[in-house]
Amino acid sequence: MATPRPSTVVSPGRHRFLSGLADLGMNFAVAIGGIFMILPFVWMVSASFKTTTEIFRPATLLPSSFNLNNYLDLFTRWPFAQWFTNSLIVAGATTMAVLFFCSLAGFAFSKYRFRGRKQLFFGLLGSAMIPFPILVIPLFVIVSNLGWTNSMVALIVPFMAPAIGIFLMKQYMEYVPQEMLDSSRMDGASEFRIYAQIVLPIVGPGLATLAIITFLNSWNSFLWPLVVVRREVSMTLPVGMANMLTAVSAGSARPYGPAMAAATLVCIPTVAVFLLVQRYYIAGIASGAVK
Amino acid sequence: MATSDVTVHRDGRLTRATLTPYTFIAPAYGLFFAFMLGPALFAIAISFFRWGGLRPPEFIGIANYQRIIADDVFWISVRNTITYSASSLFVVMPLALLLAIALNSPTLRMKTFWRAVYFAPIVTSTVAISQTFLMLFSREFGLINITLMRMGVEPLDWLGSRALARIPVIIVIIWRWTGLTSIYFLAGLQGIPADLYDAAQVDGANRLLQFWHITLPQLRPMTLFVSVIVLIGSLQVFDEPQILTGGGPANATRSVVQYLYLRGIEQFRFGYAATIGFILFVSIFLLSMVQMGVFQKKTS
Repeated sequence: MATPRPSTVVSPGRHRFLSGLADLGMNFAVAIGGIFMILPFVWMVSASFKTTTEIFRPATLLPSSFNLNNYLDLFTRWPFAQWFTNSLIVAGATTMAVLFFCSLAGFAFSKYRFRGRKQLFFGLLGSAMIPFPILVIPLFVIVSNLGWTNSMVALIVPFMAPAIGIFLMKQYMEYVPQEMLDSSRMDGASEFRIYAQIVLPIVGPGLATLAIITFLNSWNSFLWPLVVVRREVSMTLPVGMANMLTAVSAGSARPYGPAMAAATLVCIPTVAVFLLVQRYYIAGIASGAVK
Repeated sequence: MATSDVTVHRDGRLTRATLTPYTFIAPAYGLFFAFMLGPALFAIAISFFRWGGLRPPEFIGIANYQRIIADDVFWISVRNTITYSASSLFVVMPLALLLAIALNSPTLRMKTFWRAVYFAPIVTSTVAISQTFLMLFSREFGLINITLMRMGVEPLDWLGSRALARIPVIIVIIWRWTGLTSIYFLAGLQGIPADLYDAAQVDGANRLLQFWHITLPQLRPMTLFVSVIVLIGSLQVFDEPQILTGGGPANATRSVVQYLYLRGIEQFRFGYAATIGFILFVSIFLLSMVQMGVFQKKTS
């Protein structure tokens, strides 16, 4: 087709005017929507620097001065550092385990032909249809009987091999050329070594995608940690933060300032990291959609 | 078949080589049975018992199901959840489609910046962001009421009134899910062959006509996929109403999953809560089937 880019197609003046107007409208709408998206972040960060008086009598959107009392409070009146550590450990360990188990299973499904391969794979994919809420009660019973309440194990182990992850890794590994595997086999490499030293390095981008998605899901997860963790020092960030505003003794004001300081410290790092690596994240989401 | 490995390991290592893929998927399958399939079946079993945690479970047949059908709060939570799902399907999805078209358009300025702005909410903690909106909607000191007052409008009790309390929940859902949903549509848009548009251009079709006759039909499979995902996700809403209102006032915002949590985890009524979970599972399953059926009929 010799047709050049749409914008250079010659059209009558009226058309050009209308399409210019449409472009203007689109840019305007995106900007208005964008302000709506940014505003909560501005409020969150600015409230985290406000004094209690300013929070309850807000005259301006921005704080009059940057006072750090809310942040100091957060670390002295609540075990915030502990929550942060717990969240890091849980999300980090979950991610490592997911990367290992999903890539291993994905390797088997993409590079071996074995009896029941299709059935086993679709069985696993079907499990992605099971919504988590149905599992809350039975998992709670199981975890309680194992004595895992208030422990990080309960937050990590049930989520170590999600079907989506296996699917993603299988998709990436399909592109690893069979000849590479065969030639390493000739050299006497074990099957596990082929997986670890040949295949894994090639699917680095896939691993990165899976890592980002898993880490963020675990970091932000709320329902399950809320179910399993009761002890304050064992809480992850979302549960601890929710607890800050709900576990307030009657009569006293809710600690909004420290809560916004916590929200800032929880959101800003993930948003910052996301902006750096968003192309992996978006690739992962899109690849789930494209069959 | 397992024969491909035989050529490589001709020397009695045959059995081990055939077993290799099974050992590789064994950990994943073990976890799958222990923490998904097993518990799912266990949940169905529990739903036929009265089980209060400490006392031994007692088989009561379908009594839990009968009681749920007569449980007003359950039906309120169903109605609320349907409101959340409808907002997701009929507000979030169209907005996401428009956003994707804008982000895909060559005439949008500052594209990288706007992408970042709209995608950033995806990775924020629902708890943190719901708490932020909790302040924004506060009756006394929230930005929204302050703005209303400056415009001379009476402040509203957003979170404390049964009529209004669902609105903040829906706003948070829109805020957090539109960007994510638009990523799917973006992927769909980028998969539409460019020569379709070129041909339409030659025929003199304007952009509205192109949208109607090319973009929408081409996006149909992706729209189906997105609508299923959005429906499944929105039927499981928990974080947003839990933080904003705790399900109140008078259950006006309580979602089905919140009700499950209330009964099962706060009141230790495992049997009853497991029944709610099973009903939710069946509804999600049936609704997605229906949705796929409807769309497939339209496509063919």
